[in-house]
Amino acid sequence: MIMPPRLRKLALTAHVTCSVGWLGAIAVFLALAILGLTSQEAQTVRGVYLAMEPAAWAVLVPFAFASLLTGTVQSLGTTWGLFRHYWVLFKLLISVFATIILLIYMETFRIMAGVAADPTVDLALVRNPSPRFHAVLALLVLLVANVLAIYKPRGLTPYGRRKQREQRKMSTAQ
Amino acid sequence: MADPRSDSDIDDDTGTPRWVKVFGIISVVVVLLFLILLFTRGPHRGHGGHRLHGSPSGHTPGSSHK
Repeated sequence: MIMPPRLRKLALTAHVTCSVGWLGAIAVFLALAILGLTSQEAQTVRGVYLAMEPAAWAVLVPFAFASLLTGTVQSLGTTWGLFRHYWVLFKLLISVFATIILLIYMETFRIMAGVAADPTVDLALVRNPSPRFHAVLALLVLLVANVLAIYKPRGLTPYGRRKQREQRKMSTAQ
Repeated sequence: MADPRSDSDIDDDTGTPRWVKVFGIISVVVVLLFLILLFTRGPHRGHGGHRLHGSPSGHTPGSSHK
């Protein structure tokens, strides 16, 4: 079902907000990860890893699902479709992949928070380069999705080509 | 977002664009690397591995994701 223009703009606004919001949230996590690795203050280091888990549940996970949901609505509600154009398909796959990785990584956040909460664990063992590594990867992956969304490189999938041929036949018949 | 440009899409009958093939190969490599890392190192190992006091060292790959 194709959305009317106003609804389409609202859906687009929601999708851009969620997607860029997700990107921004990851940038904040990168900053926290760097802080955790570089700060000389023990409380700051422990605080970083303690805060990451609840912050991820409160911000990263909702943004991930919201971006996926709004993107799906946006695609299905316009003539772009979800599987007709390669750029849309790749964006969908990137979002699904990034969301799965995030959900798996929530366990790592939980473990790091547990280590940080233990006052007997040495600060050197509390510090962990993993969040920095994953944040950088996530930023790169979502930037690629962003570039695809802006540039919309040409390319119809086989399903999209079939749909285009059907539409041409219908318009010729009319 | 603006709707598909019907003129440019007519050209898409020529087959899969090169950028899609390159993208696809890179994606497959990334996913394979991720799977290899996941099953060899496990998802929770930082440098030197994580050890909680009183808990078994390290994590068996995939054990937390059932």
